[in-house]
Amino acid sequence: MKNMKTSDVLMQWSNVLEMVYESRIDSVGLNERVNSLATRSIKKDSKLEALKMIVTMCDLTTLEGEDTEGKVSQMVAKAIKPNPLDTSVPSVAAVCVYPSLVSVAKEKVQNSNVKVAAVSSYFPSGQVPMESKLLDTKYAIDSGADEIDIVINRKAFLEGDYRKVYDEIVALKEVCQDVHLKTILEVGDLKTYENIRKASLISLAAGSDFIKTSTGKLSIGSSRQACYVMLKSVLDFESMTGIKAGIKVAGGIRDAKDAIRYLVMINEEMGSDWLNPELFRFGASSLLDDVLKQIKKLQTGAYQAGYYFPRG
Amino acid sequence: MIDIKKTYKNYVDGKYVRSESGKTYTRDLKNEFYELPLTSRKDIRDTVTSSKSGFIKWNGLTPYTRMQILYRLSEMIEGNKESYIELLVSHGMSKQKASKDIALAIESIIWFAGLADKWEQLAGNLNPVSEEYFNISHQNPIGVVFSLSNSTVSLNNLLLSLLPPLTIGCSVISYSEESSVLALKFAEDINNSDFPPGSLNILTGKFENILDDVSKHVEINLVALHKEIENDGLKRIQENASSSVKRVVSLPSISGLSSILPYLETKTVWHPKGT
Amino acid sequence: MVDWQYSESIESSDIVSIKKKYSNYIGGKFVEPKSKKYINTISPSTEELLSKVPLSNEQDINSAVKSAKEGLEVWSKLTPNQRSRYLFKIARLIQERSREFAVLESLDGGKPIKESRDFDLPQVAANFFYFAGWADKLDLSWATKSLKPYGVVGQIIPWNFPLLMLAWKIAPALATGNTVVLKPAETTPLTALLFAEICEKAGLPSGVVNIVTGDGSTGSLIVNHKDINKIAFTGSTQVGKLIQKSLAGRDVGLTLELGGKAANIVYEDAAIDQAVEGVVNGIFFNQGHVCCAGSRLLLQESIHDQFVKKLEKRMQSLRVGNPLDKNTDIGAINSKEQLDKITSLVNEGVDDGGELFQTECELPGNGFWFRPTLFTNVQPSYSIAREEIFGPVLTTLTFRTPEEAVEIANNTEYGLSAGVWTEKGSKILWTADRLDAGVVWANTFNKFDPSSPFGGYKESGFGREGGRHGLLSYLKASS
Repeated sequence: MKNMKTSDVLMQWSNVLEMVYESRIDSVGLNERVNSLATRSIKKDSKLEALKMIVTMCDLTTLEGEDTEGKVSQMVAKAIKPNPLDTSVPSVAAVCVYPSLVSVAKEKVQNSNVKVAAVSSYFPSGQVPMESKLLDTKYAIDSGADEIDIVINRKAFLEGDYRKVYDEIVALKEVCQDVHLKTILEVGDLKTYENIRKASLISLAAGSDFIKTSTGKLSIGSSRQACYVMLKSVLDFESMTGIKAGIKVAGGIRDAKDAIRYLVMINEEMGSDWLNPELFRFGASSLLDDVLKQIKKLQTGAYQAGYYFPRG
Repeated sequence: MIDIKKTYKNYVDGKYVRSESGKTYTRDLKNEFYELPLTSRKDIRDTVTSSKSGFIKWNGLTPYTRMQILYRLSEMIEGNKESYIELLVSHGMSKQKASKDIALAIESIIWFAGLADKWEQLAGNLNPVSEEYFNISHQNPIGVVFSLSNSTVSLNNLLLSLLPPLTIGCSVISYSEESSVLALKFAEDINNSDFPPGSLNILTGKFENILDDVSKHVEINLVALHKEIENDGLKRIQENASSSVKRVVSLPSISGLSSILPYLETKTVWHPKGT
Repeated sequence: MVDWQYSESIESSDIVSIKKKYSNYIGGKFVEPKSKKYINTISPSTEELLSKVPLSNEQDINSAVKSAKEGLEVWSKLTPNQRSRYLFKIARLIQERSREFAVLESLDGGKPIKESRDFDLPQVAANFFYFAGWADKLDLSWATKSLKPYGVVGQIIPWNFPLLMLAWKIAPALATGNTVVLKPAETTPLTALLFAEICEKAGLPSGVVNIVTGDGSTGSLIVNHKDINKIAFTGSTQVGKLIQKSLAGRDVGLTLELGGKAANIVYEDAAIDQAVEGVVNGIFFNQGHVCCAGSRLLLQESIHDQFVKKLEKRMQSLRVGNPLDKNTDIGAINSKEQLDKITSLVNEGVDDGGELFQTECELPGNGFWFRPTLFTNVQPSYSIAREEIFGPVLTTLTFRTPEEAVEIANNTEYGLSAGVWTEKGSKILWTADRLDAGVVWANTFNKFDPSSPFGGYKESGFGREGGRHGLLSYLKASS
């Protein structure tokens, strides 16, 4: 989203507020719909297709205190060639790292199509003054990040100060300019579906290119229910503004089976327009390995062991 | 050949455990003797912790699932009929009486299993209040129930002491003195029946040792005594219980719908009707 | 651009072995029809012949009723606990062979395997389990000692939920001490006949359950048989009225579960996305072959356009096709006859002036199919707003106030079910109080449970099935 004039921003905000307060979700009905989508049986060619799609949608992630240049280099190599013995397996969408490791990641991705995403805004908690968040983000961009993943201010949100949440994202987007911005809602902190919807709408209206479920640092990460709420918000936002935003699910998606269920939901609820890395991503670490195993199984008919695939 | 003798252990949280005291007591039967766990105060503490989480799990199941689990228990016991009869005979019962007891026991389980998804329709109701309100009374199980078994060694008796609270969703700590061997054998069939850990815990020992702990423990919601207590024991239990307004029932009814009544709490909800 | 198509995921039909020809189940044995005549049953998704089943005549029915009477002698002398155990055993056997039954149901009737596997069969088993648990405690159900079983009960069931309707009939009848003569629908006899095998395996005493197949004439013979003490019928209102008339002047118990034209009321303060799901489920579940289907969408005018847009989009992802494909949402229409009826009513709707929307899915070559259909711009006087279509066709009407919603909802001779969508609790209760419907679903639809009584007001029938109240359908007050 381009820079907006103050009057545009204010007009957007009053619409946003209206949308936010109109949020009504019945959790029982929602859960039933999500569970019903999970009964889709994806087999054979459609399964192989799905698995390869998932690889292209992965943001291979490492966000630990113990990350080093060596660790990140290893991960980038895997991101570019997830399975060196199988050239039909594509590269992933991006790698996701802390700001201090952006430059080494950028160096290692070189000529590949793999993007470098950095978390910022004092990820994961965001519990610092705005200046620190801006600094964090600027540093990552200066280091060469192609994408920025920020966290919303949950303190402000849960205190009911939606305008503050909105303003912060607008300010961070301004720093990003054309750098792709993902806004993490941290659904594990928001708890209710209505909160997730509200946070989604606020983030979208403030200029986020993507909304993302979680930091992956809480025990409650992504859920298909949260994704469903978010996709409905994205669709309603598109219907109001014509703007197509993307969704990233992260945290707790451990196996291919679960990832395929997400794809089914996106496919049937949003349509095939959204089935590409420009509009849908998985934040993954162990997911990729399970996907590689499943691809190999479909090709050979045999269940695989983890040691066939490179460490990343 | 020397027979391999089974060690009897308490059944807590889905596992077989010895008493932490390491102590046992002996039951002498025809041609046989058994060492049973002598449950201690600390055992009670640990068991209640298990029963608390067991209650959440057990009560969290649908009534239909509870019915299925109870029915499966009847299938398990039916399959082990002969060994139960043998055990009762070694306690001095005639073979005929023992067969009858097991048959009745299975009938009781089936009766209560089929009650699991019906008792709410019989115990709850809509109240016809005189204003524009929807008013409904429904029942919740009270929680963790401590049940002291009857001294007669009978599977049917044992079951009738724990089925009423269990059926409606309470978790039960079943404590046996005289019928200890039977109770711990029964634990094996519990183990095979898909009960969530902690929903039904089986302990043995001398009740006098733990009387005070049980009657004072705030997290035991109800104490059900299916046998007479000697030496003013009942009075002591009731006095102890009063400090936390714990429910105590002595020799409650064990059959029919009235058997479940002591274990229920009634909640009445009002809601306006209007546009 | 990606266009991700799902590969076929077919549930194998190897698990079922369908005989070339079936016999009736009478007196604990499989008996060829005295009529020597048979009718064909086909698979509505391929039109291929599946099997032949008896076209029973008067002698066959006489034989069945006689066996039921003999069975009653035995059944009534058992203890309640023993009756209970038979029912538990049947429930277990059904549970164990669920997949087989589900596949057979989808083949014979056309409904998606997803439904027969995940809804029909679990409910069938649950009904037998539930009523098994009443058999030994009838004295607790109603506080009067003067309730007794009718004796021999004649049961006639429809083709939309063949095995489930059988369970709804047989389980309570047996639990309350009756014996039965049951006739499955002409187009869907196979799961009932497989059920007969379960009765045999369970060792059910002879004559307690008798299954006879045939057509409308067979049903008539049952209704008019002098030794039947009660009739339980589920089917169309038209036939229900004929049955009621036939029984006039006779001392025969009767319960009827007939048609419906349920209103699904969506208020403006509903949780819209969930309401869309509920509306879709309400009319497209089981191809709309549901008596309690939410076939009239009553939308508050202020949300009409927004809602219809979301609804049409949602309908596009409904998959119509091979019932044995696990990804099929909407299966085949049960018969050519039904397909013609739906088509004719839809054409009438267009002629009357209704605006038609249909999804763009591809339909298989053979078989009977109808695309999910939505009508907007409909007036309450159009036939599509009044007549039961019994197909995947939804008709939309608008209202402005809650009072109007209730008025429109009740403006029908039917009264089986209704839906209410709003996030306001007091409005749910207010609306439910005023709807003339035997079942009201608030913020949900098509929910069933053996413990929940089901049945209609007005011309949707009388008597309830399921729950404590359902027992009364099979117990007669005696002096």
